[in-house]
Amino acid sequence: MDEQSTDSAFAGVSRLRGQVFAALAKGASWLGILVLAWLLFMVVVDAFGLPAASVGWYLGAAVGFGVPLLAYGAYIRRTRPELGWIAVRSTVIPPGGLVLAGALFILFLVFEPVHWLTYYTVGVLPAVAVYGHFASREDTRAPLFATAVGVIGLGLGVFVDAALPVKPMPWASLVWVLSVPAGAIIAWREATGDRRRQATIVGLTALGGVLASFVGPATIGVTPDTSVILYVAAVLPVGWYYGHVLAADRSAWPGLLAPGVAVLAIGLGITLGDLIGATGPDPVLDWQFLTSAPSTIPENAGLFPAMVGSVFIITIVALVSFVVGVGAAIYLEEYAPQTGLGGTITRIIRVNISNLAGVPSVVYGLLGLGLFVNLIGMGMGIVLVAGLTLSLLILPIVIISAQEAIRSVPEEVRQASYGMGATRWQTIRNVVLPRAVPGVLTGTILALSRAIGETAPLLMIGAATTVFRPPTGFASQVSAMPLQVFYWSFHQKSAFRELIAPAGVVTLLVVMLSMNVLAIYLRNRYEQQT
Amino acid sequence: MARDDGRNTLTRRRLIAGAGAAGATILAGCTSTDNDGGTTSEGLSGAIEISGSSTVFPLAEAVAEQFMKDHPQVDISVKSTGTGGGFENHFSRGRSQFNNASRQITDAEEDMCADNGIEPLELRVATDALTVVVNNEAEWIDCITVEELRQVWSADGPDTWQEINSDWPDETIERYGPADTSGTFDYFREEILGEEYNHSSDYQPTEQDNLIVQGVQGSEFAVGYFGFSYYYNNPDSVKALAIDGGDGCVDPSVETAKSGEYTPLSRPLFTYAAKGALAEEHVAEFARFYVEQSGNQELVADRVGYVPNTEAAVDEQLAALETAIEDAG
Repeated sequence: MDEQSTDSAFAGVSRLRGQVFAALAKGASWLGILVLAWLLFMVVVDAFGLPAASVGWYLGAAVGFGVPLLAYGAYIRRTRPELGWIAVRSTVIPPGGLVLAGALFILFLVFEPVHWLTYYTVGVLPAVAVYGHFASREDTRAPLFATAVGVIGLGLGVFVDAALPVKPMPWASLVWVLSVPAGAIIAWREATGDRRRQATIVGLTALGGVLASFVGPATIGVTPDTSVILYVAAVLPVGWYYGHVLAADRSAWPGLLAPGVAVLAIGLGITLGDLIGATGPDPVLDWQFLTSAPSTIPENAGLFPAMVGSVFIITIVALVSFVVGVGAAIYLEEYAPQTGLGGTITRIIRVNISNLAGVPSVVYGLLGLGLFVNLIGMGMGIVLVAGLTLSLLILPIVIISAQEAIRSVPEEVRQASYGMGATRWQTIRNVVLPRAVPGVLTGTILALSRAIGETAPLLMIGAATTVFRPPTGFASQVSAMPLQVFYWSFHQKSAFRELIAPAGVVTLLVVMLSMNVLAIYLRNRYEQQT
Repeated sequence: MARDDGRNTLTRRRLIAGAGAAGATILAGCTSTDNDGGTTSEGLSGAIEISGSSTVFPLAEAVAEQFMKDHPQVDISVKSTGTGGGFENHFSRGRSQFNNASRQITDAEEDMCADNGIEPLELRVATDALTVVVNNEAEWIDCITVEELRQVWSADGPDTWQEINSDWPDETIERYGPADTSGTFDYFREEILGEEYNHSSDYQPTEQDNLIVQGVQGSEFAVGYFGFSYYYNNPDSVKALAIDGGDGCVDPSVETAKSGEYTPLSRPLFTYAAKGALAEEHVAEFARFYVEQSGNQELVADRVGYVPNTEAAVDEQLAALETAIEDAG
């Protein structure tokens, strides 16, 4: 750009317009961000009881928390800046593992480990074995055979499940279902080709699971099955990552000290704060809140059944909306006629799907009530109806985002694939879908985040306002986090409105944001691969 | 998974088998699940669904919570659907065993139940004292007669306070109250307005008590009414008016409602049990518990904010309930 010529030819007028527009756009985006930040800030302040703490406490906490972290950060930056990422990753992995452990815990609470054991053993395992067998011989029919074996196995699982003479302990099932496959994955990634090492790794991880089931109850007082879950979700990934880093470069150890420093900083912050300020914050959102049932006494109230209910519902929604939505999108984009009379019908369907995405959620609630409860005769307010209704709600969004992702695959790539003599199915399978996956996943997970916060459809299908125990099956009465928050925010006791409801909101937001983080992570991963 | 060759699979298999065998040996004989170890007094288990009035909901929730402490195997879900909505969509279709009601069941609702072979049993679980409230700043009023109250809330009634009582200010009346879907609205209309007057439509209807409170807090000349529980839990937010039903001014309170002085705005609260469902042990046991707790001052009054039943009333209800349970069983 030649500055001088623009100055002389176009005097300040046109520039002013552009600058004003830019300033307005900037202002609008900042306004949105600030309003949201303010809202989040208010809710967090209530949920963690921050006003209860004195100024001195915050000063002490800030010093105790900040000094070690700043010192460590400065040290890494000055001496080994290349370790920055290792430090960040090693800090993120343990809490991430704990969140995963929480999700697994809820999953195994809803479906008993014994059922996982049967279905995994007679369905998933043979399918994986068959796939491995044919894939190792470069046989292209591997996925087909594996799917067939898997479906037959899962079908058999129903009978095996009912006919089990003895039920193994939950922790034993978990070792078999979780820690052995986790070991297999690590072995496969870390010791390609070295059979003996692979076998050792699998054996050791399985053994670790068995040990964990005894160590957990003895040291931190959790049940054996919980400690197996903790071991697989939190301990194993950390160990794997540390081993991986150290095996590549022994001298990278300072980067791995980050989580230790973080724990030290938190501990020091709390200690110093207590020393100086005496009164710390009085959080409503604590372990008790996350693990208790709702109560009419504010101090005892908790979100646990609603949390499990939400996770359960979202699992159903994810399965149904992903399979149906992506299938519909592939059909509309790749198979449906695009010209002539058929093309007109396709266009009409597309326009209607776009319109359905804008239909208010209450209407979907009514649809769920009419279709699943009154017509098919399922129970009112059960998990399955809630899941299917929310699936209907986000289906249009999933279809549209999947369509966009498929459409964004360049036509030239398809033509090139056809030019090589590939069939339509081969083209979709090997060329189109791999490139569309990041977009499809992102769209689906963002739609799921919307579904997890929906209240109105659940009210319409008669989901319970209060349940005291988490759902145990597809026909259990269910409550969900947004419903519980909605009820608390109109409670006759002010403690519920001003303290408990914000704690519920923060929990809901944390779950939702974790899902979005997962979406972004998956997207980045796939984009690096393609 | 890695590609397999014979030797490797053997090793892996051996290892897994070894680990499994070790585990199995240690645990020989332990084969039960251990996720809920609560043994119950009588081992009651099963599901109970409760639907109905949002007014009675907090009471039902408190009772359910207490019951589940003694019987952790019983799964209770409580839904706040409104009295009529609960009868129509849940109770009369056999989808709930109990329906809370802030008024008595109507003939139409009885017929709906009868069509599906459901026989409702009326149980009185507490008393509510409908509370009329004004702004805390309203120094000019402490007590209101039933006749004045009727004028305030009737359609085509006076627009200003002064038109009703010359001591009151010459300001427009701002009304906040429950929507016409609510049992509270039905009761108020029946008791205060009667047959010959319509309820004013010039008011802000809402389903939420705290929205009524917010409206009343916003103006010195506003008036509203709702169930006693909300006022009991937030006594400083607004000012409750004493009601003069002909025998002098009476403040709404647990005592005045219990003694029957607070008329005509104290009203009974019910739950309706499906007689057929009482054949099941855990439903019958919960119904007994609900009625017993209706006389519990600590739970009904202190925790929820309604007026508990007298002991005589509890015994009377229990006798009726036992008869129904025997018929069902």
